[in-house]
Amino acid sequence: MAKFRLLPDEYLARSPLTQLWREFSRQHSAIAGLILFSGFFLLALLSPLITPHDPYLQNDALLLLPPSWSELGLVQYPFGTDDLGRDMFSRLLVGARYTFGIAMITVLGALIMGLLLGTLAGMSRGVKSSVFNHVLDLALTIPSLLLAIIIVAILGPGLLNTTWAIMLALLPQFVHGIRNAIAEQLNQDYVIAYRLDGANNWQVFSRIVLPNIWERLTLMATMALSTAILDIAALGFLGLGAQAPTAEWGAIIADSLDLIYVAPVGVAIPGLLIFLAVLSVNLVGDGLRAAAKKRREN
Amino acid sequence: MILYLLRRLVLLAFVFIALSILAFSLGYLFPGEPWQNFSGLRSASSEQLAQLTTLYRLDQGYIAQYLAYLTRIFSGDWGLSFASQQPLLQEMLTLLPATLELAAYALFISFFIGIPIGIIAAVKPDGVLSKLISAIAVTGYSIPVFWWALLLIMLFSLGLGWLPTAGRIGVLYEVNHVTGFMLLDILLSDSHHQQEALINALRHLLLPTLVLATFPTTVMIRFTRDSMLDVWEQSYIKTARAKGLNRGQVLYRHGLRNALLPVIRQIGLQFSTLITLAMITEVIFSWPGIGRWLIDSIYQRNYPAIQAGLLVISTLVISVNMLTEILHTLFNPLARKR
Repeated sequence: MAKFRLLPDEYLARSPLTQLWREFSRQHSAIAGLILFSGFFLLALLSPLITPHDPYLQNDALLLLPPSWSELGLVQYPFGTDDLGRDMFSRLLVGARYTFGIAMITVLGALIMGLLLGTLAGMSRGVKSSVFNHVLDLALTIPSLLLAIIIVAILGPGLLNTTWAIMLALLPQFVHGIRNAIAEQLNQDYVIAYRLDGANNWQVFSRIVLPNIWERLTLMATMALSTAILDIAALGFLGLGAQAPTAEWGAIIADSLDLIYVAPVGVAIPGLLIFLAVLSVNLVGDGLRAAAKKRREN
Repeated sequence: MILYLLRRLVLLAFVFIALSILAFSLGYLFPGEPWQNFSGLRSASSEQLAQLTTLYRLDQGYIAQYLAYLTRIFSGDWGLSFASQQPLLQEMLTLLPATLELAAYALFISFFIGIPIGIIAAVKPDGVLSKLISAIAVTGYSIPVFWWALLLIMLFSLGLGWLPTAGRIGVLYEVNHVTGFMLLDILLSDSHHQQEALINALRHLLLPTLVLATFPTTVMIRFTRDSMLDVWEQSYIKTARAKGLNRGQVLYRHGLRNALLPVIRQIGLQFSTLITLAMITEVIFSWPGIGRWLIDSIYQRNYPAIQAGLLVISTLVISVNMLTEILHTLFNPLARKR
């Protein structure tokens, strides 16, 4: 005989978010990634307040100062200065705004647009949705760098223009993913039950579909974020994205490349920062994915 | 299956039409006059201009112009490059094999190294080896490709002096352009220095291939591992174990075949990323491929080249995508139902 229980298990009684956090916090790598990620996030928000020097101030008395761990360095300039006498440390701090911050804005923009278009595609049926899919198939196939080249050719180089390109390049995967997630949800029995209760499309979407797909949305966003950071840095490096004085990490590497023998720090540290930023996003994403899987299994 | 193929072909045609419309409209969207962007001529005399206007039907509506553009594309008249004033199609046909060669070797490595390592990592998912492989994989797909290339150049070319930094082959060797694939061309040539040329080309090839292969290989490791772990939990695996098959038999007959199905699809999805990475790798290693040519084109404001590059690269990516999808369906009857 089935046992009647007024309250479910202690574990099941917790909210999904708490369960997810429990599973997430059990993974050391995910927590390390989250700490790193929060660090970059705070840096992107607060970096102008904490830079010791003006990142764009050219000091011709201190050109190409070596980092402070070498004997010729100054302690006020931890990573030395570049060939125009700008403080490398401040430039790197501000760079978090461009590479990491703008990548986040790009992903957010793509996510919102993707949610709109994906919902339209997922809730509609027939010819409209099939035409939509085919257009997406085309958009998915154009490599992001090629898309960026085309947009730069039309609008000219610049961080903002490449941001549009990256957003456009990220959009199809969001729309595809969201469309599939919504279509999957609409097939569930609880949606039918809710519809029989008299719920309209908007209520079904906001009360049932959205709470059930946010986990997948976050996952998609983390995957897109690592792509966005890599793309922004690569475009900055190629000289198509952020332009010369802007302290974007990829652009700093391109600037320091001629001086790689004299000042290898200028290539090593920005690259390391890009790597750490992408790594933190990937660790958080992997941790979330594993946690979400475990939560669903329980 | 035939119905499925037909539907795919219709879709392919639709996608190509959309692509050509996009490429055509770029002639208007790019800065400069449309006749400049279509022909690749920087300036033209008045009778040349009149000739171009009739040829491109610039005096008629957009649809007539588009149809004229399509006929030109199919007849091989892709216009000239702004920079070199050479026919674009011929220029690209000499460059494309270099990119394909690099991408093919990287894909090859990702296949033959990524998949076995992914399977090894899936055998004991909580073991030390599996954790180590996962850590290496996450590092591999987090590293920015241009920085990784610079690090390797610093170490192997400038520091140790083992490998050359740029180009496909030393300037001392002259290899005739037959297929465009360097290694094949060397094997086809009958020079006395074939052996040396081959070794030289391989030394040039090693670093770019390694750099380009890093991302797809590590993604493949992770994907294979996840796919393997997913399949391992299915009930047909339990059935197979219950039947009394040993671990190896289950792995080979039931596990691998099902786990590798999504991997085929993954190749198609990864191909567009691979091309992006190949373009960056080519720039750093001065590899004379289509990616470096395209990025040079943007510095030179060579709009006809960008337009043609879009057509060629997208056609390539779409074809690979479609091919892997068809292969996936061929091997997986479940996917045919849709």
